Amino acid sequence: MSQDSLYREAADAYSSSLDRLARAYELDPEIRRDLLQDIHLHLWRSLANFDRRCSLRTWVYRVAHNVATGHVIRRRRIRDRLVSIENLETMPGSDQGELAASQTEALERLSMLIQRLKPLDRQIIVSYLEGMDAGSIGEITGLSPANISMKVYRIKNILRRWFGEGGLHAE
Amino acid sequence: MPSEFPMNDPRNIWQNQPTEPFKMSADQLRHKAQQRQRKARFEALFSIIVGLTLCVFFARTLVTADELLLRTGLGLLSLWCLYSAYQAYKWIWPGRLEPDATLSTTLQSYRLELEKRRDYTRHLWRKAGLTFCFLGLALIIVPGLIKALGDPRLALNVLPVCVLLAIWLAIFFPMRKRRQQKLQHEIDELDTFERESQ
Repeated sequence: MSQDSLYREAADAYSSSLDRLARAYELDPEIRRDLLQDIHLHLWRSLANFDRRCSLRTWVYRVAHNVATGHVIRRRRIRDRLVSIENLETMPGSDQGELAASQTEALERLSMLIQRLKPLDRQIIVSYLEGMDAGSIGEITGLSPANISMKVYRIKNILRRWFGEGGLHAE
Repeated sequence: MPSEFPMNDPRNIWQNQPTEPFKMSADQLRHKAQQRQRKARFEALFSIIVGLTLCVFFARTLVTADELLLRTGLGLLSLWCLYSAYQAYKWIWPGRLEPDATLSTTLQSYRLELEKRRDYTRHLWRKAGLTFCFLGLALIIVPGLIKALGDPRLALNVLPVCVLLAIWLAIFFPMRKRRQQKLQHEIDELDTFERESQ
């Protein structure tokens, strides 16, 4: 399969996921557009070396997260204020579990939470929200499934505090 | 906006957020990649040409200068410009700083990116050849300064430059050290995290 057709396949299947992923790393719409373009550019280039040793999904997410992480690292002032999942767990939640009034408000609350996290923790929470299991997240991040499970457990606690019981309901 | 799913289910909220379709085709991406490469090549060439031009300028001035100290200073500046041109070729030339987004897991990629930044900050002085630059400038300026000591009016003229230089040095070194420490702290955190993960 050629690089272009592989890219088309990846873009068809994961375009929306990549858009959401870019939102997790960048709030500013203009900069986010550039970041998304960068992700697609790297993805297209990388597919010339795709050897099917992992699934296309894992490959796409790895490239996307790596590009987005590079973006966060370059923005040093923002990176200095980021916290880990463990830190966030001990911080007070937004509205302490009150339900959001609308979809937009709920999404804003979720985005606010994600934007406070360090890149690696952000990768885990985004992958979790995308519906991946610990094994798949481990394949992308390089962490062991046991470690991911621990992180996901903490993420669920945080989400429960920020969104009510649904944080746990979302399995 | 009416809610179509529970507001307390973060996965649904996340997965059902409105997204925009990405409109570029593979051909457009190829074109964009070529455009970027051309731009990067132009920037590298520009830096190389500026470095070489300044190198020739200082070398020519060196030939006509009389004083030994001045000649040594100009020689060092000329060498520094040549070195800068080489560094521009080494670091800015397209393809040399391409992030390897494919061969590593995100943990490795994150660590590599942090290490690259830490090493750049740590060796900035050496990599930029600033010793040549400052020594060269000092050899050119100091003889003039010594002469100026006899005339307080001349000394007053150079005072602002000296104050600015002192302020810059006082800010530069502590800031560089702080940045290095922060990056090292992040790398240590990742190490601990990875160890615990195994």
